Amino acid sequence: METKGKGTGRRALLKTAGLIAAAGVPVAVSAPEGGASGKASRAWWVKTVDRPTLAEKTADFKRFSGDNIFVIYRPLKTQRDGAGSFEAEQAAKAKRLAEWMRASKPGFRLPDHQLSEGAWTLMNSTEPGSGLLSWTRISVRTPAELGVGRHTAPPGEMAQTVKAAARLYGAGLVGIAPMNEAYVNLRQEKKDIVFEDVDVAAVTDKKFVIPRKMKWVVALAIPMDLELLSRAPTSLGDAATGLGYSHSAFAVASLAEFIRGLGYQAIPSVNDTALSVPFAVEAGIGELSRLNKLVTPEFGPAVRLCKVLTDLPMACDKPIDFGLVEFCKTCKKCAEACPSRALSFDDEPSFKTKGPWNNPGHKAWFEDSYKCFQYWQKVDNGCGICLASCPYTKGAQAWIHEVVKATASIAPAADGLFRIMDNAFGYGRQHDPERWWTKDPPSRG
Amino acid sequence: MRNGTDTLTITIRKRPWWFWTLAGSWVLSEVLLLQTAFASVREGEYRAAAISWIAVAVVAAAGLLVWLRQGRRRGRAS
Repeated sequence: METKGKGTGRRALLKTAGLIAAAGVPVAVSAPEGGASGKASRAWWVKTVDRPTLAEKTADFKRFSGDNIFVIYRPLKTQRDGAGSFEAEQAAKAKRLAEWMRASKPGFRLPDHQLSEGAWTLMNSTEPGSGLLSWTRISVRTPAELGVGRHTAPPGEMAQTVKAAARLYGAGLVGIAPMNEAYVNLRQEKKDIVFEDVDVAAVTDKKFVIPRKMKWVVALAIPMDLELLSRAPTSLGDAATGLGYSHSAFAVASLAEFIRGLGYQAIPSVNDTALSVPFAVEAGIGELSRLNKLVTPEFGPAVRLCKVLTDLPMACDKPIDFGLVEFCKTCKKCAEACPSRALSFDDEPSFKTKGPWNNPGHKAWFEDSYKCFQYWQKVDNGCGICLASCPYTKGAQAWIHEVVKATASIAPAADGLFRIMDNAFGYGRQHDPERWWTKDPPSRG
Repeated sequence: MRNGTDTLTITIRKRPWWFWTLAGSWVLSEVLLLQTAFASVREGEYRAAAISWIAVAVVAAAGLLVWLRQGRRRGRAS
């Protein structure tokens, strides 16, 4: 009798399959944790670097006026399109929304709109320096009131403690950056923001006072709901933004109280007080992208950033490089997807700003926020297409995405192919808004 | 048994290294594609899921074809 090796071959192949599966699976699923997330390790393809990938700055780089597009849109609109143009635009928007609601336009029905309004509730009730975002303690009892001394530990251990708390309060990623006064806005709420050699942070009638001893910034990234974001630019997509901001407000308020409870000072901040992106870049949460927003290795740009300024001494994190800038140079998917053509198509980032909403003096792909915000007036409260279309915005379930991100990090030559594949696989397309209510149940709760 | 004798002949052929490399890559591809197909359905990425299912089928068919051809060639050789 002669055996032809068939049986042996099958057994060997099954064994091989088992071995490969056993070896391959943990590699593939271990990725979404990180040093900047407060856990032991980040994916191997996320490298720490001494300087951020887009770190070039000139003498023009100064503290930002705080005049972002939300602040200056009305006067700009009036300046460009004449008196009454802003009011006319708002009236047309309200009328259009009402028509869409009456016609039950998918994604803009009354429940869709009100879902968004509900998601914004917490964020809409915040105000810099008061309430949830109070610069002094809200209700936590100080160590002195509890009859103990303030908590002390080596900087590394203290950073781990704070990161663990931040994650509990909702941060998908958290890192520590050194304070840089240049990233703090000049003004807000018609008051100056100043640094003074004082012991306690204060909000007076004329100014916001940050003590100079606040030398650390805890940067947090709150993941957005991808099911909602994939319905952008509808009211459902806007609910993802509102929810991200409301969670941000909760997270920084809770973390600030925690830090105060340890015996230190803390200033919670969402979009107010200081620029979130540069602090998040320096804290190793992500890299600056073609969107002129932060893109993280784990969640792409689908995060909302917030931070807590503190005098609690902690070990700082380093910036990261996961090949994003090179990928952005080739990809341009966000710029093509943007309905208002607000994003840059330039191959290389530059120092050329697009308007007063940009802070000059640093290298970036600057965006035309005026065009962007004008498009917002044509939909509901916001858009979000750029966030949803980014190839780094992916669910965490498919291992192939980790393989692609790892390859893009080490072999930029493959970036063009990945961009083509991303399109071919249909990623970034709008998901059916009506399906959210029935087939795709909310991922939280 | 052959030629009425009691001799039993067992032929063991050592497969070359590239065969195992190919087989391993094939299994890895199938595992990855299957996982992508299932995960894409769960994430609501139906186009990605459909392409992954097609890729699973194509890679499986290619593997099967190679396997069968190899078996037939060995059959002829013996």
